[in-house]
Amino acid sequence: MKKLILKVEDLYYIYGNGKSALDGVSVDIYEGEKIAVLGSNGSGKSTFFLNVDGVLTQEQGKIIYRDTVINKKNLNELRKNIGIVFQDADNQIIASTVRAEVAFGPMNLKLPKEEVLKRVDEALAYMNISEFKDRPPHYLSGGEKKRVSIADIIAMKSEIIIFDEPTAALDPLNAHMLEEVLVKLGSEGKTMLISTHDVDFAYRWAERVLVFCEGKIIADGTPLEIFQNKEILRQANLKQPTMLEVYELLVEKHLLEDTKAYPKSTQEFKEILEK
Amino acid sequence: MEKIIILCAMFLMAVFFFKWKHKDGNNHGDGIHHHKIGHKHGEGFSIDFYAYASKIRHWNATFKVSLSVLTLILCILLDNPYVSVAVIIAMAYLTVVKGEISVTEYLSILAIPIAFILLGTFTIAIDFSKQPMGQYNLYLGFGYVFTSQAKLKTVVFLIVKVFAAISALQMMTLSTPSSEIIYVLKKAHVPKLIIELMSLIYRYIFILMDVYTKMKNSAQSRQGYCDFKTSYYTFGSIASNMLVISLKKANAYYDAMEARCYDGDLTFLEEDKNVEIIQIAMAVAFIIFLILIWIFTR
Repeated sequence: MKKLILKVEDLYYIYGNGKSALDGVSVDIYEGEKIAVLGSNGSGKSTFFLNVDGVLTQEQGKIIYRDTVINKKNLNELRKNIGIVFQDADNQIIASTVRAEVAFGPMNLKLPKEEVLKRVDEALAYMNISEFKDRPPHYLSGGEKKRVSIADIIAMKSEIIIFDEPTAALDPLNAHMLEEVLVKLGSEGKTMLISTHDVDFAYRWAERVLVFCEGKIIADGTPLEIFQNKEILRQANLKQPTMLEVYELLVEKHLLEDTKAYPKSTQEFKEILEK
Repeated sequence: MEKIIILCAMFLMAVFFFKWKHKDGNNHGDGIHHHKIGHKHGEGFSIDFYAYASKIRHWNATFKVSLSVLTLILCILLDNPYVSVAVIIAMAYLTVVKGEISVTEYLSILAIPIAFILLGTFTIAIDFSKQPMGQYNLYLGFGYVFTSQAKLKTVVFLIVKVFAAISALQMMTLSTPSSEIIYVLKKAHVPKLIIELMSLIYRYIFILMDVYTKMKNSAQSRQGYCDFKTSYYTFGSIASNMLVISLKKANAYYDAMEARCYDGDLTFLEEDKNVEIIQIAMAVAFIIFLILIWIFTR
């Protein structure tokens, strides 16, 4: 049985203009889970993330991190252990060299300087951007900036990493590299939440899918359960992953035997066809 | 009255000259774009770019800043043309030979203030009068423009002095990235608020420029600059839109900073680079040399 790491209970959040953004969200997150968060624009995904990280304060509800209820006093405990990679790297990068930027989080954790330097070097090597460390961020390309923003969070060594639409605005090569990093982080036992509009990616990568719709979680389950439920997909304006759709079509036309072995990648699909 | 009109005309000329230079420099910057680190803004930002390309960038920042400021102060205090010439030569040597910035680039950067200096000192050299007087005069119909050898001499010395001072500071800006200069100021105990503002503004300039370029391009693609009146209107709209966007961005920034445990103190990681003894020795020798020149030519 996996250990409970984060428990969100009945979270409500209302924006300053009176618009309700979160409308009673409850979710349990266990250690090492790989969760994809789906939902259309404005369904409350980003607000949920900011609430979970303690940047926004909920109207009502509880956030429990490892048996401690989070209040104003231990808010920093939450921020220390949950890192967010923001959608727009330009909204996150603040320092004027890559090295200082990656060190910003560890410096705020008040770590000794040697430890900060060690973590920065590790994070830069992890994201394969060691050669950029003295460059200013405004001379980097979009993909490179994204990698810097991920290194930011890796250097903080947080247990839960949240990615807010990481694949948006990345070219295929950079998106592929990002996926490799995600797999690597997953193999190290990090708990990850990723919001995305890319259903193929969510189907391929995630172990669990949360579907947001108008401030509520309308579905929570394995990717297969979610993507086979047409009603939920229609409600959240999602489409089926191509791989799943193709497989089901082939089964329907009796071109393929229905073994319930749903392929997640083209590689797996090829293996099924070759059998 | 006439003097004011002529001054205004000169100022306009200066602006045009600067504009032309600026355009020139812009093309220059684009030329670099293709074979070095990318750069897309105007000449004003290329200066920052040169600092990153400079070969003496790895020198200790405190050393560079103090050397250049000390030289600047000496230039002004000693007020001696020989000292100034020595400074110009030494600083050009540091920037061009040691820093490996090409001579044409260095000259084009120095040429930005040249127009202001020439026009500024020109007004010191000449004067107007109804009667012919001075060593050289020119009849303009309404009166005489005149000058004298002594005045010309002061002007030339002044120009040399100003140039020496500029080249001393230019040595610093062309070899030290802004973040390092800010770090040196921090070590010099400049108030924290100013330091934090400087680092944020430095980072923000590029973001604002980026946003502005994007908005301008999209306005241009929709005929936003088709005539004079529309251009004004578009410019105004972009300016007000930028204000809104800045506020939004500031919010997003604050969220991102809070998510990384920001608690009111902006602390960036900085590292001191080693300063070599030979560099300090050379700098001290140079300063002593300047003072010696001053003593012997007083």
